[in-house]
Amino acid sequence: MELFTPEFGLVFWMFLAFVCLYFILAKWAWPFIIKSMEERADLIDKGVAYAQEAKSHLDNAKAEADKLIAEARNQQADILREASKMRNELIEKARGEAADEANKVSQAAQVSLEQARKEAEKQLRTEVGDLALQIAEKVIRKNIASDDAQRALVDQYLSEVETKN
Amino acid sequence: MKSKIITAIVALVIVALMGWGYYSSAQHRAHGHTSELNPKETIFEHLGDAYGWEVPFNHSVRIPLPIIVWGQDGLHCFMSNRITGGETYDGFKISTSEEHHGKVVQVMDDGSEVRPWDFSITKNVAGIFIAALLVIGMVMALKRWYVRNGMKAPRGGKGFLELVVDFVYGDTIRPILGKHAPKYAPYLLTAFFFILTMNLLGLIVIFPGGANLTGNIAVTLVLAVLTFLITTFSGTREYWKEIFWPEVPMALKCPVPMMQLIEVLGMFTKPLALMVRLFANMMSGHMVVLVLVLLIFIFTNLFGVGVGVGTSVFSVAFTLFMLLLDVLVSFIQAYVFTILSTIFISMALVEPHHKEA
Repeated sequence: MELFTPEFGLVFWMFLAFVCLYFILAKWAWPFIIKSMEERADLIDKGVAYAQEAKSHLDNAKAEADKLIAEARNQQADILREASKMRNELIEKARGEAADEANKVSQAAQVSLEQARKEAEKQLRTEVGDLALQIAEKVIRKNIASDDAQRALVDQYLSEVETKN
Repeated sequence: MKSKIITAIVALVIVALMGWGYYSSAQHRAHGHTSELNPKETIFEHLGDAYGWEVPFNHSVRIPLPIIVWGQDGLHCFMSNRITGGETYDGFKISTSEEHHGKVVQVMDDGSEVRPWDFSITKNVAGIFIAALLVIGMVMALKRWYVRNGMKAPRGGKGFLELVVDFVYGDTIRPILGKHAPKYAPYLLTAFFFILTMNLLGLIVIFPGGANLTGNIAVTLVLAVLTFLITTFSGTREYWKEIFWPEVPMALKCPVPMMQLIEVLGMFTKPLALMVRLFANMMSGHMVVLVLVLLIFIFTNLFGVGVGVGTSVFSVAFTLFMLLLDVLVSFIQAYVFTILSTIFISMALVEPHHKEA
C-alpha cells in the first residue's frame, strides 16, 4: 500500500531538512539556551539561599546590636569611673605639692626674718653702745680715766638690759 | 457577554459555510460534474502526498510547487501547475495507472510509464521546510531573548517555549542521560520541536498546515533511522558485549546464537517501534477526522440533505473533540519519541555494572 512505502524524494528532503535544522540549532541555539537556563536556575537557587541567610542575619542583628550597645554602655561607665578617679588623684597630688611648697616658702621667710632681726639687733646694740658711750663720755668725761674699763661696764649693763627685754 | 457574542459569530459563520457548501455542491451537480463520492480514495488522497497544495473552497486551483525529477534524459524542473490538471509536460505526467498512482512518471516512446528519481518539492516536502523554518524561528527567538535580556525570565510565547524546553531537557533528558546530556540534548530537543511542529501543523487544515507530515512513514523513518544511527555509534563496549556475549547460561548463546539473534533483532525493533508509533498515531488521528467529516457526505448521498445536516452537527462536534485530542496526542507523541530516543541512547551508553551487583 502506498501509505506504507516511504517515498524516496520525501526521505531525501526530510533527511536534508532535519540535518540542516540540527546543525543550525545545535551550533547557535541549544547550547546557549540550555546554558542560559541553567545559569538562571543557579542564580535563583543562590538568590533563595542568600535571602534565607540574610533573613537569619537580620533576625540575629537586633540581638547583636543590643549586645553591642550594652557593651558600649559598660565601657563608657568604666571610662567615666577611671576618669573621675584620675581627676581626684591629680587634685590630691597638686594639693599636697602646693602645701609643701607653701611650707618651704614660709620656712625660708622665717629664717631670713630671724637673720634680719639678729642683724638689726646687732647693729642696734653697736649703735646703742656707741650712743651710750658717747653720752656717758660726755657725762663723766672728767671722772673716768680708763676708757676701756668703762666700756666693759657699759657692755655689761647693756647685756643686762637685753636679757631683761 | 463577550463569550456569547463570540459564540454567536462562530455559529453564524458555521451556518453560512454550511449553506454555501450545499449551494456550491448543488451548482457543481447542475453543471454535470456528478462525480461519485469515493470515501476510500478521498481519505487516502488527504493522507498522502500531493504535487501542489490545495486551497480552501476550490477543487481545481492549487498552489504550484516545483517538480524536480531526474528522468532518463537528465534533470527536469518545472512548476506543478503544468501537470496537476492531468496534462503531459516535457514528457512527464501524473500517473493514473495502478502501479504509480498519483506520482510523476515519464512517458516513454512506447507509451510505458517509468518512475524517475523524484526530488520534487511536494506538499509534504514544502510542509517539512515550513515546519523547519518555524522551529528555527521559535528557537532563535528564544535564544535572542537570552542574548538581549540575560538573566530575565522570558514572557508570553517565549516563556511557554522555555517551559517546554525545560520540561524536555531538565525533566527528561538530563535525569536520564546525566553527564552525557549536553552532548545528545541538541539532537533530542531538535527532534522534539520538529516533530511537535509537524504534528501541530498537520492539524491546521489550510495552507501553511494540512500536510500529513508525521503521519507519513517517510518522515518518521528518517527520524527513527537517525535515532538508530546515534544509538549504534554511541554504543559502549559493554553495550556490544551485552548484545554479542550476554550473561546468560552457555546453552542459550554458544552452539546456537539464540540470545545474540534476539539482541540484534532488538537493536532494530526499537527504532522500528519509534517509527511505527509516531506514524500510526498521527495518521489514525487524521483518518478519524476525515472519516467523521466524510460521514456527512455519505449520509447526505444515502438519505438526503436533512439527514446530512443532522449528521454534520454530530460530525463537527466529534471532529472538534478529535482535533483537540490530536493536539494532546501531538504533544504526547513528540514527547514519547524524544523520551524513548533518550532511553535508547542511555542504554547504548551503559557502563559495566557487574562489580556493584
